[in-house]
Amino acid sequence: MKKKITGSLMLLMVLALIIPIGLNAKVVKIGVQAPITGKYANEGQGIDQAVRLIVEQKNAQGGLLGNKIEVISEDDEGTAVKAAFAAKNLINKKVMAVIGSYTSTCAAAPQKMYYKAGVLQTSDGTSDALTKHAYWTFFRNSNPNSAEAIFTANHFINQRHYKKVAILSDYSSFAVGLGDAVKKEIEKLGGDVVYYGKIKAGNQNFTPILTKIKSLHPDVIYFSGYYSDGGLLRSQQVQLDIKADFYGGDANDNVDFVKLAGSAASGSYLINVPTPSLLPYDDAKKFLADYEKKYGMKIPSIWTILNVDGLRAIMYAAEQTNSLDTKVIADFLHNMKKPFPGFTGPLSWDKKGERIGSSYFAYEIQPDNSYKVISK
Amino acid sequence: MYIFIQQVINGLTIGSIFALIALGYTMVYGTMKFINFAHGDLVALSAFVGLTIYTTVVSSFSNSIIAILISLIITIVIISIIGYLLERIAYRPLRKAPRLSAVVSALGAGMVFQNAIMLIWGPNPHYYPADIIPNKIWHFGDSVISLIQILILLLSFFIMIGLYILVNKTRTGRAIRAAAINQDAARLMGINVDAIIVIIFALGSTLGAVGGMFLGMFYRGITFNMGWNYGISAFVAAIIGGIGNIPGAMLGGIFLGLFNSLIAGYISSTWADAFTYILLILILIFKPTGILGERVAEKV
Repeated sequence: MKKKITGSLMLLMVLALIIPIGLNAKVVKIGVQAPITGKYANEGQGIDQAVRLIVEQKNAQGGLLGNKIEVISEDDEGTAVKAAFAAKNLINKKVMAVIGSYTSTCAAAPQKMYYKAGVLQTSDGTSDALTKHAYWTFFRNSNPNSAEAIFTANHFINQRHYKKVAILSDYSSFAVGLGDAVKKEIEKLGGDVVYYGKIKAGNQNFTPILTKIKSLHPDVIYFSGYYSDGGLLRSQQVQLDIKADFYGGDANDNVDFVKLAGSAASGSYLINVPTPSLLPYDDAKKFLADYEKKYGMKIPSIWTILNVDGLRAIMYAAEQTNSLDTKVIADFLHNMKKPFPGFTGPLSWDKKGERIGSSYFAYEIQPDNSYKVISK
Repeated sequence: MYIFIQQVINGLTIGSIFALIALGYTMVYGTMKFINFAHGDLVALSAFVGLTIYTTVVSSFSNSIIAILISLIITIVIISIIGYLLERIAYRPLRKAPRLSAVVSALGAGMVFQNAIMLIWGPNPHYYPADIIPNKIWHFGDSVISLIQILILLLSFFIMIGLYILVNKTRTGRAIRAAAINQDAARLMGINVDAIIVIIFALGSTLGAVGGMFLGMFYRGITFNMGWNYGISAFVAAIIGGIGNIPGAMLGGIFLGLFNSLIAGYISSTWADAFTYILLILILIFKPTGILGERVAEKV
């Protein structure tokens, strides 16, 4: 990979020497900071490829404000240390905006560097801490964990009209944070949380706690932890004949949830940002098809598309303001009168760089294990 | 009331699996006086072997119950052979060495099993197919029991009865008991102690294999490192019942399952483990030989 990058860089340098400078077309540089190798390589490569496809399409239409766009990719391997190096390289190469990174950790590590250099950054990281500093350069293109809680509570109380809710989480900071937030939001809307308990992840035997929940007769059991426990909870819930709906938070949205729950998976519910194939917008469907045609594979996940949406919003802002100045673009994005129609729904931002409005969906798992959207 | 009955059913199911695994610990301790810490990982290994055999043979049988019984038998044979090899390679050369060496060897063997599972089947969880045992439940009052729970309870019950008869009513059983009391004296009486030890490892592995496959069928998800978790619970069960005592391990397993269930159901599920170990400490202080541990005292 590195060889490839150096190779293409050298080629660019040679081209820069050959092509006469008098064309007065500037090159706009867009950086990709993503885990192109390592544990999340699949997601990182997806982001890199999708950004390159969008840029290719944009260049074919004449580029950004008449300027050709060039993509520079830096691999952060999913670690904070590498993320800082990647960011330094991108800043030195004078990129206008950076797409990434995939993980909250790698998005947070270089956040201040981008802020100091005045480089725009858009990331899909869901950690609430990412918008804590309210850097004017940062734009989250996904929703933070707290937005999922608001969606969940609203869905339970106002759409499904549940009266009594039982909440389960495990001990991970992610699941506890989500569980706490859902409990708070449900109580805000006047719902009754009859039980809020924690399970030990990987324990496997959840029948005692489920039997206890059964005695409280809740309308719904909500689990904020991960699929490896969620699938078992659902399977044991059905085995114990507990007649409550089962909802899993976003970490339950995994093929293994269905494998663990077995036949019990059918009729349970998940709450998550939409899977790519469920996006209702035509331009999103076209982009998915283009991606598959160009790379011969499906887009790895919704996170890829969220990141692409961040880039598209920045390009849109540049065109609307007729400026490549990052400060002007950021001001525009912070004060949008009407949201930009993204692949993943309308995009606009508050002053802290938090995406306004949620893109969450609630799904019902069908007998053939496909998802049916019941709320969005 | 139905909640209480339900918790008892929950406790009996997991308790009988604990009991099956605990028997493996207790039988080895009874004759060799050391803890076979590799037993938990052997249980995990049998869950994986069982799944692989099931997926290979299932297509040749019309009925999944027959397929699971066949794979159970094949798994028992394979795991018994591995149990025999474990004894032959990791423990027999250390028979005359201090007990600590054997315990360290057991811990090492456990790691070998765990890593072997990871290398062969990969670090990701594997899943027993959902349709092995039909998802049937029966109501009585407001309590429910599922087909798989009934199967686990019945099979464990018969296996334990069978083991009890084998140990107490047969010649081999008498030899096992004799070797447990005094190996040298048993040898003088013409008992082939090495053969008895092989039988014990084969029996312990058989029970562990059944326990491992029950875990897979009941919970579906199996991971390469699940052995430690269940091993330690079963080990505690063996101590509660009186380590070295066969009926004690059965009782200890069922007692531990019930205790866990009731604590989790009525006090706090997050404290269930803590209470289990508090109970263990109390038993070790006030009745170090366990519930049925009289015989242990006379052996020491």
